[in-house]
Amino acid sequence: MKKIITYGLPLLVVVLIVMQFFGPETANPPEDPAATIAAVAKPPVEVINVIDRGCRDCHTNRTSWPWYSRIAPASFLVARDVTKGRAHLNFSEWRGMSPEITALRMTEACIEVTRGDMPLPYYLPAHPEAKLSAGDVKAICSWPEQQK
Amino acid sequence: MRFIPFILLMALALSGCGSDPASKNVEIDAAKLKLFKPLPAKVDVKPGGPEAERVALGRMLYYEPRLSKGHDIACNDCHMLDKYGVDNEPTSEGHKGQKGDRNSPTVYNAALHFTQFWDGRAADVEEQAKGPILNPVEMAMPDEKRVVAVLKSIPGYVTAFKTAFPDQKDPITYDTIANAIGTFERGLLTPSRWDKFLAGDAAAITNEEKAGFNAFLEAGCQTCHMGVLVGGNLYQKMGLAKAYPELADEGRAKVTKSEGDKFFFKVPSLRNIEKTGPYFHDGKVVTLDESVKQMGEYQLGAPLKDEQVKTITTWLKSLTGEIPADYIKKPELPPSGPNTPKPDKG
Repeated sequence: MKKIITYGLPLLVVVLIVMQFFGPETANPPEDPAATIAAVAKPPVEVINVIDRGCRDCHTNRTSWPWYSRIAPASFLVARDVTKGRAHLNFSEWRGMSPEITALRMTEACIEVTRGDMPLPYYLPAHPEAKLSAGDVKAICSWPEQQK
Repeated sequence: MRFIPFILLMALALSGCGSDPASKNVEIDAAKLKLFKPLPAKVDVKPGGPEAERVALGRMLYYEPRLSKGHDIACNDCHMLDKYGVDNEPTSEGHKGQKGDRNSPTVYNAALHFTQFWDGRAADVEEQAKGPILNPVEMAMPDEKRVVAVLKSIPGYVTAFKTAFPDQKDPITYDTIANAIGTFERGLLTPSRWDKFLAGDAAAITNEEKAGFNAFLEAGCQTCHMGVLVGGNLYQKMGLAKAYPELADEGRAKVTKSEGDKFFFKVPSLRNIEKTGPYFHDGKVVTLDESVKQMGEYQLGAPLKDEQVKTITTWLKSLTGEIPADYIKKPELPPSGPNTPKPDKG
C-alpha cells in the first residue's frame, strides 16, 4: 500500500499533466444562421426556448465549454457527448432534410424527453436550467404532430 | 462461507444459458418503431395521359438502347431491374467504356426519395431520367433534338406516344419521354418482410432480425436512416464524425456551389441494401458488413464491434423486398424505321 502511494500517486499526477496536452477539440464549428432549425423550419418559440435551454450544448454548434470541460479526463467525456450528440441531432444543421425526416427527428426527440433520457441525467446537476418541465416536453412533442 | 464460491460459480455457469436470441421473444421499442413506415401500395403518377399506356411506353423506353449514342446502353444496363435496380459495379460503364464517378443508385423505390442523384440535382424521377441520356460518359446523346428525332423515326414509338399522350399536339418531346420513363419507374416498389412486420405481423421477421433492429437503434443509425425508405430523405455529410478519406467528390456542393455543402450527399435508402452493393457514393466499399462498420466510424463517431455489425446486418437483410417480376418483364421493342439514325460509336 505504501508503494502504491509512493510510486502510484506521482505517476498519476504525471499522467494527468501529460493528458492536458492531448485534449480534444473544443472549438465550435461555425453556425450558419440560415441553416438552423429556427430559420429553416420556423418552429414555435416555445420549441426554440427548450432547444436553447435544454439541448444547446450537445445538439447545436453553440456549445458552451465550462472550465471542467477543458481539463482531462473530464474533457474527453464532455467532448464525446458533444460529438455524439451533434452526430445524432444537430439543430444548427437543419437544411437539406425532407419534411418527413424533420417530423421524425422531432418525434424521436419527443420520445427521448418524455422518457427522461434527454437531457442526459448526469448533465443536469451542473446545468439545472436544462431540466425540462412537463410544459417543455409538451412543446417538443406537440410540434411534430402540428407538422403532419 | 465455503459455499459462497460454489454459489458464485453456479451463477456464472447459469448466466450463459438461454442467451441465444433465437430462443427468446425479442421485444422492440414500440415508440421508436413509429419512426419507420411501410411502403405505400402505389405511388401517385404525374399528369400527362392514360396511366397504363404511359407505363407500357415507359417500360419500352427503359429497355431502349437507341436512346444512347452507340445504340448500346439503355437505362436497364446500369439499373438492372432483375438485379434490384443496380449493376453491382463501383461505378458504371458508359459510352465507349467510360466510367462514371459515382455508384449507380437503385431505381427501386426511387420515386419516393425526396430528390434524385447522390447530389440531389434532380427533383424527381422524371427530371432524373433526362440526365443520363445526355451525359457524355453515360448514354452520350448529343442533345434533346437527336433523342426526339430517333424516336420519331421509329413507327412503333410514334404510335405508342400518341396513345400515351393523346392530348399533346406533338406527343414526342423530351418532356414526354421523361414523363413516360418516370411513370413506369413509379411502379417499381419492393415490399418486404419488414413492411409486413410494420403492418402488424410480428412473425414476419425473426428474433435475430429484431435484435439487429434494436442494435441499429442503439447505435443511433436511425438518425439518418428512418422513415418509409430507411433513408432517402435528407442530405448528410460523408465524414460527419470523422473525415472520410476519399475527398475528391464534393457532393452537393457541386450543385449548390456552397462551401457548407461540401461532402454532403443524399443519404441512401437501406431497402434492398443487401443486394445493392458496392456501397457509398464512390462504390468503394464492397461488403455490407464493412459499410456498416465504416458508418459507425465516419458518421456516428462510435466504432461498432463485430457483433454489433453482424446483428445490424442481419436486420438489414429483412429489408430485401420482392421484385415485381411481371411488371419488369422486358417488352418487345419496335423495329427501327428506314430513317432511324445509325449507331455512332465515336
